[in-house]
Amino acid sequence: MSGEKTISATITNPPSKFESITIGKPVNKTRWQRAVPVYGVSVINPFFLVLIALVLLSLVLTVYREIVGLGPASGMNDMFGWGIWKTFNVVVLTAWGSGAFAVGVAAWVFGRKRLHSLMRMALLTSMLAYACGLCLLGVDVGRPWNFYWVIFPWNWNVHSPMAEIAICMSLYASIPLFLENIPPVLERLWHFDPRLRPGVELAERVLHKGFPVIIAAAYLLPAMHQSSLGALMLLAGQRVHPLWQTPFLPLLYVVAAAFMSFGCVAGTTMLCCLFWRRAMDMEVLNEAARITAWTIVGWMAIRLIDLLFRGSLVTAFHFDHYAGIFWTETALISYGGYLLFRSLRDRRTRSMYLGYAFSSLGGMLYRFSPTTLAYMPGPHAMYFPSTIELLIAIGFASAGIAAFLVMVKLFAILPAPAQEWRNMAAYFKLRKPYIGWTKYFNFGFFGDTEPTDSE
Amino acid sequence: MAITRRDLILNIAKAGVPAAVAMSGAVKLAQAEEIPVPNTPVGLLYDASLCIGCKACEAACNEANNTPADISGDQLHQAPTDLNVFTRNIIKLYKPEDGSASSFVKRQCMQCLDPACAAGCPFQALYKDSESGVVKWDGGKCIGCRYCTISCPYSVPRFQWAGFNPVITKCELCSHRLAVGLKPGCTSVCPTGAVIFGPRTTILADAKQRIKKNPGRYYQDRVYGETDNGGTQALYLSRVPFEKLGLPEIGPESVPAKTLRWQKRIYSYFALPALLYVGLVGMIRKNLKGHEEEAHQLEKQTGLRAQL
Repeated sequence: MSGEKTISATITNPPSKFESITIGKPVNKTRWQRAVPVYGVSVINPFFLVLIALVLLSLVLTVYREIVGLGPASGMNDMFGWGIWKTFNVVVLTAWGSGAFAVGVAAWVFGRKRLHSLMRMALLTSMLAYACGLCLLGVDVGRPWNFYWVIFPWNWNVHSPMAEIAICMSLYASIPLFLENIPPVLERLWHFDPRLRPGVELAERVLHKGFPVIIAAAYLLPAMHQSSLGALMLLAGQRVHPLWQTPFLPLLYVVAAAFMSFGCVAGTTMLCCLFWRRAMDMEVLNEAARITAWTIVGWMAIRLIDLLFRGSLVTAFHFDHYAGIFWTETALISYGGYLLFRSLRDRRTRSMYLGYAFSSLGGMLYRFSPTTLAYMPGPHAMYFPSTIELLIAIGFASAGIAAFLVMVKLFAILPAPAQEWRNMAAYFKLRKPYIGWTKYFNFGFFGDTEPTDSE
Repeated sequence: MAITRRDLILNIAKAGVPAAVAMSGAVKLAQAEEIPVPNTPVGLLYDASLCIGCKACEAACNEANNTPADISGDQLHQAPTDLNVFTRNIIKLYKPEDGSASSFVKRQCMQCLDPACAAGCPFQALYKDSESGVVKWDGGKCIGCRYCTISCPYSVPRFQWAGFNPVITKCELCSHRLAVGLKPGCTSVCPTGAVIFGPRTTILADAKQRIKKNPGRYYQDRVYGETDNGGTQALYLSRVPFEKLGLPEIGPESVPAKTLRWQKRIYSYFALPALLYVGLVGMIRKNLKGHEEEAHQLEKQTGLRAQL
C-alpha cells in the first residue's frame, strides 16, 4: 500500500448520485472502474443454507429419477414428451442467462465500451445458467450414455435443430464461455501469492492472445443455438398455436434472449448493488437500459408484423386461454420496455429495475409458451410438473444462485468505483491484521494492490 | 497504405458474406427440396371401410415383435387405449355422437418418405432404411431426448417412461420378418384384408383401383399418404374424413421440408456461420487492442492492477 497513506477505513460508499462540480460537465463519482469482490460478508448465511438444502434434496431426487425412470418421477407423458426441465431450465433460463452473448456483442462488436464493466457479471451468470441447464438436460434425457456421439461429426444429423443445440451448447459452455471466465480466477491467484505471479502473468498473456478467437466463438455459438432453440418447435408444425408458430421463431427467440439477458445482467447487478450497498454507475445502467428498450421495440415490431402478415393476429381476439397468454406476455414485455424508457427520462432506478423484471418475465413467458403453454399435441393432452420434477428444477436453479453467491464473494465480479478496491484493502488491514501470515489459508484476502512493473 | 492482416480478414469477410448468402440460396435452388427415395419402398394399405375392428392385428403385432400384451386396463384383456411402449399398432373407433357414419382406424407408424422424427433426431438414431424405406430406431445412438415424440405429426414414437434404460417404441414394419420373407404381423392375420402389405407402388395402384371401382365410396376419392406429408408408405382409404381418424391435413409438402427450409439454407456447408466467425474475429481483434490500452491507462490513473 505504498502510495495510499490516507486510506479511509470506512466501508460505506460514496453517494450514488451525480454531483456536478465547478465547470460544465458533471463528473460521475460513481463511475464503475473495476470489479471488486463482495467483502466483509460471510458466504454462509441462512438463505445460502436453504439453497444448499434445495440442491441436496434435488440431488437425492435425481438419483431416484435415474433409478425409476422419467415416468414415475415427472409429470411428462406420451403427449407432452418434454417437461419443465427442458422447457424452463434449458429453453428459458439459458436465454435469460445468455448475457455473455448479448452484453458481449454490444460491448465488443457494437463498441458500447462502457458495458465492459458489466461483462464479468454477464460471463458469470451465463456460465452458471448454462452449466445448470446442461446438467439438468443430462438428467432429463433418457439415454445420456449415448451422448458420446457428439464427438463424432459423421454421426451428426446436421440439419436437426436438436443436434445443433446438443453440439453447440455443450461446446460453447465447455470451451469459449469457460475460458472467458478464467481471468477473475487468474487475478485472484495473482493477488493471492506473489510467488504465483510469473505463472499467472504468462497464463494471462496466452489467454489474451487467444481472446479474439475465443470471444468470436462465444458470440457465434450462442447466436446459433439460441435461435435453434426456437427452430426446435418449427418441426412441431401445427401443434404449436398459430400465435407462436412462425418461420421467424428462431429470430424471435434469439432477440428475446438478447433483451432478457440484459435484464438478467443489469437487473442482477442493480439488485446486488442495492443489497451490498455498492454505488450504481448510472451511465452504464442507462446505456444498458437504452439498448434493452430498443431491442424490445425491435422484437415487438418483428412479432407484430409477422402476426399481421400471417393473418394470425385474429386468433388473439378469440378470447381463449391462448389469447390470454399472448396478451399477458405482450403486456409484460411492452410495459417493461415502457418502464425502461421512462427510467431514462425520470432517472429512477426503481422504474429501471421493474422494467427489467417485467420484460424478463414476459420474455420468459414467450420462450416457455411454444413448448408448453401453446403446445397442443392432442385434445385431451395434459401436463403439469410433478412435485419431484419441480423440486429438481428448483434445486438445479438454486445451485446456480448458490454458486453465484460464492463466486461474487471470492472473485472480483461485481463492478464498483476504484475506491471500493481501496476500501477493501483497508478493511482487511483493519479487521484482519493477522492476515499477513495466514493469507495462504484465507480466501477473503486480496493482498497487495500495487501494479506490477511487468505490465 | 499497407494492408494489415486485420484489413485482409475484414475485406474477405465483407466480400464473402454476400457470396455466402448467394451460395446458400443457389444451393437450395439446385437441390430443389430433393428427398432421397428408398430403392424399394414397402408399405401398408389400410382400408378403413373393410376393417371390422377385431383387433387380431394388435395381438399379432405383439407376438411378432415379442412384446408383452398391454393388459393395464383390467389386468386380463389386451386393451390398450393408445399407442404405447407395448403397443406398436392399435385399432381405434371413431364414432360421432350425432349417429353419422362411424369408422375404425388402424394406427401405426406411417413410414413417411421424409420423416419428421428422423429429420429432428440429433444423432441419427431414427433413420430411414435406404432399401425398404422403413423408419428404424437404433438404441445405440438414441440419447432419449424425445424430440421425435414432439416432431412426429402423427404422434407415433413412444418413449418408455418407466425404468432406467428407456427405449423408443414404434412400428418398424416387422423388418425382422421381412428379412426372412414373412409379411408384417398385422397383415398376416387380418381376416377381411383391410390391411395389406406390398411394395408402395403396388399398393398405391391397388388403392386407386378400389377408388375407381367404387366412386364416391371413399372420402374425397383419394388415398391418404399418396402425397400427404410428402408421401407416406402407409396408405389409408376411408369413408369418413381423414382428420377424424387422427390423420391431419398437412398438405403435399412434408413437415421437415416446410419448416426446416431456412435452417438448411443458413447452415448449408456451414458457409454463413464460418464467414460470420471470420468477421467477428477481425472486429474483436480491433476492439481488444483499444480495450487493453484503456485498461492500462486506468491502471496508471488509479494505481490498481488492470482488469480485462
